[in-house]
Amino acid sequence: MTGKLYEKSWFSTAVLGVLLSIMSAASLFVGVMDLTPADIFRGDTEKLWLLLVSRLPRLLAILCTGMGMSVAGLIMQQLCMNKFVSPTTGATISCSKFGILMALLFMQSSTLWSRAAFSFVFALLGTWLFVWFIQRIQFKDTVMVPLVGIMFSNIVNGVTSYFAYRFEMTQALSSWETGHFSMVLRGRYEIVYLALPLIVLAFIFSNHFNIVGMGKDFSQNLGVNYKFVLFLGLSIAAAITASIVVVVGSISYIGLIIPNIVAMFKGDKIRGTLVDTALLGALFVLVCDVIARVVIAPYELPIELIVGIIGSVLFIGILFRRLRHGRKAIRAIAKKGGEAA
Amino acid sequence: MKVSNLLKKYDGKAVVDSVSFEIPKGKVISLIGPNGAGKSTVMGMISRLIAKDAGMIDFDSKDISKWKSRELAKRLAILTQQNNVQMKLTVRELVAFGRFPYTGSHPTQADQKIIDQAIAYMELGEFEDRFIDELSGGQRQRAYIAMVIAQDTEYILLDEPTNNLDIYHATNMMKIVRRLCDELGKTVILVLHEINYAAFYSDYICAFKDGRIAKFGPVSEVMTKETLSEIYKVDFEILQVEGKPLTIYY
Amino acid sequence: MTTRAQRKNVQKLVILALLTLIAVVAYMTIDVNFSKPRFLRFAMELRTPKLLAMLIAAFAIGAASIVFQSVINNTIVTPCLLGMNALYTLIHTLVYFVFGSASILARNTNLAFAVDLVIMGTVATFIYGYLFKKTNYNVLYVLLIGTVLSSFFGSIQSTMIRVMDPNEYEELLLNLVASFDNVQSEIILACVLILTATIVLLRKDIALLDVITLGKHQAINLGVDYDRTIRRLLIGVTVCIAVATAMVGPISFLGLILANLARQLMKTYRHTHLMLASAMIGMMVLVAGQCLVEHVFSYAIPVSVFITIGGGVYFLFLLLRQKR
Repeated sequence: MTGKLYEKSWFSTAVLGVLLSIMSAASLFVGVMDLTPADIFRGDTEKLWLLLVSRLPRLLAILCTGMGMSVAGLIMQQLCMNKFVSPTTGATISCSKFGILMALLFMQSSTLWSRAAFSFVFALLGTWLFVWFIQRIQFKDTVMVPLVGIMFSNIVNGVTSYFAYRFEMTQALSSWETGHFSMVLRGRYEIVYLALPLIVLAFIFSNHFNIVGMGKDFSQNLGVNYKFVLFLGLSIAAAITASIVVVVGSISYIGLIIPNIVAMFKGDKIRGTLVDTALLGALFVLVCDVIARVVIAPYELPIELIVGIIGSVLFIGILFRRLRHGRKAIRAIAKKGGEAA
Repeated sequence: MKVSNLLKKYDGKAVVDSVSFEIPKGKVISLIGPNGAGKSTVMGMISRLIAKDAGMIDFDSKDISKWKSRELAKRLAILTQQNNVQMKLTVRELVAFGRFPYTGSHPTQADQKIIDQAIAYMELGEFEDRFIDELSGGQRQRAYIAMVIAQDTEYILLDEPTNNLDIYHATNMMKIVRRLCDELGKTVILVLHEINYAAFYSDYICAFKDGRIAKFGPVSEVMTKETLSEIYKVDFEILQVEGKPLTIYY
Repeated sequence: MTTRAQRKNVQKLVILALLTLIAVVAYMTIDVNFSKPRFLRFAMELRTPKLLAMLIAAFAIGAASIVFQSVINNTIVTPCLLGMNALYTLIHTLVYFVFGSASILARNTNLAFAVDLVIMGTVATFIYGYLFKKTNYNVLYVLLIGTVLSSFFGSIQSTMIRVMDPNEYEELLLNLVASFDNVQSEIILACVLILTATIVLLRKDIALLDVITLGKHQAINLGVDYDRTIRRLLIGVTVCIAVATAMVGPISFLGLILANLARQLMKTYRHTHLMLASAMIGMMVLVAGQCLVEHVFSYAIPVSVFITIGGGVYFLFLLLRQKR
């Protein structure tokens, strides 16, 4: 039985990995300028240049965004003991947008890095504040927590738009309002790579996150420093979010739905789900991006819109399911998967 | 009131199945049984809070679902445990709602008198202008009972009235139930977890197990070692106190 | 005792009415040049429709919020959080998208308004009716789904805008933003009629609200046809919110503030009093707020921004206080 489970867990990871590689390769050849694999093999320098300057950076940014946001969501959900917490519903994204605005306001010649730093600091402060708030109130209903988070984001967004109106920055800020990949070019996006080492760090500490997720007393009993791990986890989530938001802009729902979907099949043990979550997140964003580029070709839609539409439908689906079955795993399918493996 | 072949299913699983019994008038009847035996569901169906899937609940030779809700409210009152009102409502205002089925939102002089009597009966005079969310659990419980008294129905249904009350308040509650029956001539039907309360204060006991009636009859018939052990799967001893059977279980 | 409390409540209502009147007078007269009749008339013509729009919207939101809170037995939520604002914008955009800005629907503001309102009323009733049923009247779920829906509607709307012809978009933008600043008198009349009709049709259900406050089981025990009443009231709430949104745009949190202030002020369960108080507080807040925005901030920042910040903070405050 254990052996089978073990096998199955690798099976899904492998399937996701293969799917993602195929999709990634295919996505390189979707775009305004014609580019075919044959061009590359022929060694056409112009086409190669296109690949290196525009297509490849875009693909990498997409992969980092998908992995980063879904892992950030996973960490936050685990630490807050609530499946509906995520960078979107935990005010992290709105706070990092606020940070970017502050950078634009106070540093006339702000670079990408300084904006990222501001964004990170505010994202971290906002997330702490949110977590402090929900820990202070013991909610009877799990759904209350994301509601509070959304309220919280609303307030932060309100303050952001107040300053934006006040200093006539609405135009400048609009680039971050709806996330999009069209500005991703070599030399302007590399900060999203930060997500990768952070994901590795999260993987190393995944057992700690699990333990902290079981509660303060539980972790003390096992000799885990509750406050330190909580702090570390939230910092990682905030850093990932900030580095993505500063390049791509606000991009919602990934951190909310991807970990939920994976957990339905594979449970809540982070060690076992982190890789799958990252892969599925990347796959999801990739698919959304291809849709965004195809719908009104030769123009493209901001990815946030596609993610917003698909993501909200999926999320409502998850809510309904949960309402009907509680937090039951999808056993029937999981079993089939096990047999197939 | 006569119940026959009651059926209720949740998710395709019958939680109440072929339940039939007749409720004797002017008596106290307790429904007992282990958790999930279906007693609260039966209570819910008798009081039209829960829709039944099949069967008849014959109330005054008319099925309960055929009754007009407003008319039924003058004949039968139910008090459940979910009474968390967030409104600023005084005790008197709450009790006044008992007259709602009769005269709507505008109580008449006659209604006021009935309300006064109900408040006096439950000894709530000194609290009548306090907000109910400022009262203690026992006082609030009494306020709700006063409302049911003001509703002036022949039948009173109480779903676990002793829940969350300490021994003092729970015993008081049971004494009130007895008085409602003896002094005001009401038929009281209760769901109880405490078998000893059921044994001491009621006339009839209806014991449930797995959605069916295990035994229905006068207290002395149901409160036997064999029946109770069978229902609860626990060993029982029966003692006689003041001529009534009391149980010890371990 | 009860009568004394009631008399006190009536007094409070009178004071509220006076304060509202003061706000209205202030709004109509500040910075108006009375010496020149022409300017005076111009100012009045400019301000009267706007004032009426605000009053109607405040009434609709204030009353609807109280009803909604009582129906779902929860005082920290408001129907405006259900995502109806986004739905309205979406429907408006959709009409433009499907029929084009040159069509009669877009040219005739009154017709456009009517179409928006009808579609919105139907769609909202359908969606939220379905949600309430599906979630078994679990309000928190409905609210969460509502907030998600609002980003869903928003995303679709933005997508449509991007796909749209830029000229059409210009027209649409003009039409969406301007909705509050030049409301037509026919629309105001229509709204008044709709609201009155709603209240008349639902008067019996509104009268039952006092009992419904006691909770589902108690209400049924007292002979209320609970499900039917709730359904009718929720439809009424939807209509009110639709009207208010159509008139003044996104002011999500206003209802929350109004309903809670009214409850705190009146300390009663009588819904006629609560609804009146809530509506009047709404009128006061909205008119005074618009006054401030126009004269102190000289139109730089929309009222909705203040309401969002203030309302959000208030919401969190309520939560903190309630759960401790």
